[in-house]
Amino acid sequence: MDELELLKRDWKKKEHQMPKLGYDEIYKMIWKKSSSIVKWIFLISIIEFLLPHLLYLLPAMSKTIAIWKGLGLGNFLLVSNIVQYSVVLFFIFQFYKRYKEISSLDNARQLLSNILKTRRTVKYYVIFCLSLIFISYIVMAAGIYLSDNPLDAMGYNYNLDNADPTKVKTTMIATVLLLGTIVTAVMGCIYFLLYGILLKKLNKNYKELKSMEF
Amino acid sequence: MTKDLEHQFVTELERNQNIVHKVCTLYTNDRDSHNDLFQEITIQLWKAYPKFRGESKFSTWMYRVALNTAITLYRKSKRSVPTIDYESVTFKISADEYDPTEEQQLKLMYHALKELGDIDKALVFLYLEDKNYTEIAETLGISEVNARVKMNRIKNKLRTILNP
Repeated sequence: MDELELLKRDWKKKEHQMPKLGYDEIYKMIWKKSSSIVKWIFLISIIEFLLPHLLYLLPAMSKTIAIWKGLGLGNFLLVSNIVQYSVVLFFIFQFYKRYKEISSLDNARQLLSNILKTRRTVKYYVIFCLSLIFISYIVMAAGIYLSDNPLDAMGYNYNLDNADPTKVKTTMIATVLLLGTIVTAVMGCIYFLLYGILLKKLNKNYKELKSMEF
Repeated sequence: MTKDLEHQFVTELERNQNIVHKVCTLYTNDRDSHNDLFQEITIQLWKAYPKFRGESKFSTWMYRVALNTAITLYRKSKRSVPTIDYESVTFKISADEYDPTEEQQLKLMYHALKELGDIDKALVFLYLEDKNYTEIAETLGISEVNARVKMNRIKNKLRTILNP
């Protein structure tokens, strides 16, 4: 006898061994909160959209804005903010559009593909933000390079009369660039770790379905 | 949502709950996860219910949402180890049909089934539920030919496990 037929026969018998829930038990369940991956992706994405903007509310960030203005980079800050908010609006619109397309009534492949696409929108957004952060550090380094007295311009009143001004400048530029690299790398690592954990199962199953098409 | 719709849905699900339980048995290893997945599938079914216009049978529609939830939406990891108590309930064979060889074969096969990937499990599940290849292909979003090829591969895999 075919092994699978044996399994099928036994599988049918199991109908009677399955647990049975009553009407009230099922009724209660329909009002419970879902803990599906889509809900998690939605919440985490919203946090990721908001996070870069919440950073501006920190006192340290306000001080940074003063430094930018001191270095004569106020215009860059303004332009980059306009670009950033336009891009944010575009991404939120894309994200919402794709999120709305997710339906458990699609076939498994379509559903997986729609969820991964939605998440990819957020991924591009995060890459954009990380690039912007990194670029702003580079621009700040350039501002220091072009400034005659960067320490004063940034509002620091250190007495460095004996120090070689070129050395001070080089140290400042190196520090800013190093800090920029570290901040971008750390934020990038945290993000991609989260991204990987969230989508591990989905990616695996989507790859499996795709590999069936040859 | 009217009270009528709630009543209609719960009655239909109560009648067809076996489908959901079978999916849960296949995709989880312990009673807590089983109940968890059952609840998530119920929520997803309820959320999708207003869009179910009766074009297909309630049960056909259930297969799709239940499998989608298990394959895609269910978030819990499956690291839990099956408990002996739970296995004896889900995989027991009635005493009057006891056949040591068959029992051994079935045990091996259920074990092999549990080891399959999420997609392969869905294929075998639909096959065991007597779904034809057109339905299997439509549920998973692959072509019918590929569904057949994949199923044959799984059959061979199971055969090798039984006859090493």
